[in-house]
Amino acid sequence: MARSPRYYMLMASLPPLPPVFTSDQTPISRLRLERRLALLEPDDRAELAAIEDLMRWDRLPLDITDQEILERAHSFIPQIRSATLREVATWRLEVRTVVAGLRRRALGRPPPSPREPWGYGRWVRYITHNWAATDFGLGGALPWVAEFSRLINQNDTLGFERELLGITWQYMSRAADRHFFTFEAVALYVLRWDIISRWTAYNGRLAQERFDRLVNAGLGEYAELFDTSSATR
Amino acid sequence: MDTVMELLGWAGVFSPLALGAVGSMVGCMIAGQAACGALLEVERGYGRYIGLTALPSSQTIYGIVVMFALMTRTVTVATAPGLAAIGILTGVGLMMSAISQGKALASSISASKAKPEVFGLSIAPAAIVEGFAVFVFVFALVLAGNLAG
Repeated sequence: MARSPRYYMLMASLPPLPPVFTSDQTPISRLRLERRLALLEPDDRAELAAIEDLMRWDRLPLDITDQEILERAHSFIPQIRSATLREVATWRLEVRTVVAGLRRRALGRPPPSPREPWGYGRWVRYITHNWAATDFGLGGALPWVAEFSRLINQNDTLGFERELLGITWQYMSRAADRHFFTFEAVALYVLRWDIISRWTAYNGRLAQERFDRLVNAGLGEYAELFDTSSATR
Repeated sequence: MDTVMELLGWAGVFSPLALGAVGSMVGCMIAGQAACGALLEVERGYGRYIGLTALPSSQTIYGIVVMFALMTRTVTVATAPGLAAIGILTGVGLMMSAISQGKALASSISASKAKPEVFGLSIAPAAIVEGFAVFVFVFALVLAGNLAG
């Protein structure tokens, strides 16, 4: 694992992340973030991009199958050099497995057959064996499963997404507390930035307001020409 | 054997400065990297961040003083073990404190960039690290004064 002195500069150059759900925009744009990430060692940059590819749905090809996702995960995760990032990637896919199980059950479908490739990590068999239990019998290890189940069954998509991102944010923040000026710290910053970016992208009203602000800022003194309220007067 | 002992004695005389300087270089580099990163993000107060990066240089000054104190003793087979022990251990102590201080300053710069009002308080950990360097420095002088020869 590269421990470059440049990471002191990189981490100090990144603005602090606000608590999730409290901001209507990311503290730094993706473009500027990418410029700062140019300070990463080449190996670390490639590894971070691969971790993001694995963890972000929007970076996956539309025609990819569950089998292919699982093959990718099984081949890539053991190669992650940092134990912390390996744990984070594994945890994220395990959470995704639990969510896949909950959604599948909410659709009234039977548990996956043992040969069906559908989930990743240590809970796969446990979930299929406890298919009827509200929390798949995972309440002790994963106390949020029952709440996830309730939200999915109520079709509360926004509430569920908020809960999911909140749990993920907490997990990554705890992991980030152990790292300061290392590649792990940078990677966990970017992964949490992704969470803020994802949440702010969901907020339609705030997105529209921000868009209006950006347009007005871009128009500058010409904004009045396009002001519909003044045009009607 | 005598040559080896004298070599160790001279290594002890120069170690406080050499190892202290190595520590200062690394410490200033770490704090400097963090300061440069902060400069990319803040709009003002550049000077105070750059000023902090100089703090780990004090260990080199302590090393110079201890080196001169040890130089007052003639390097002989009899004095060499004492000079080596005091000098090398002092050098290691100063080097480690300078590197640790650089890391503490990087955190301080990072914290005060996010929250400027904690600037003064955030330097406290680096000042505490400096205190340990001062302990090493003072007691190295005391021991150097008690060294026979």
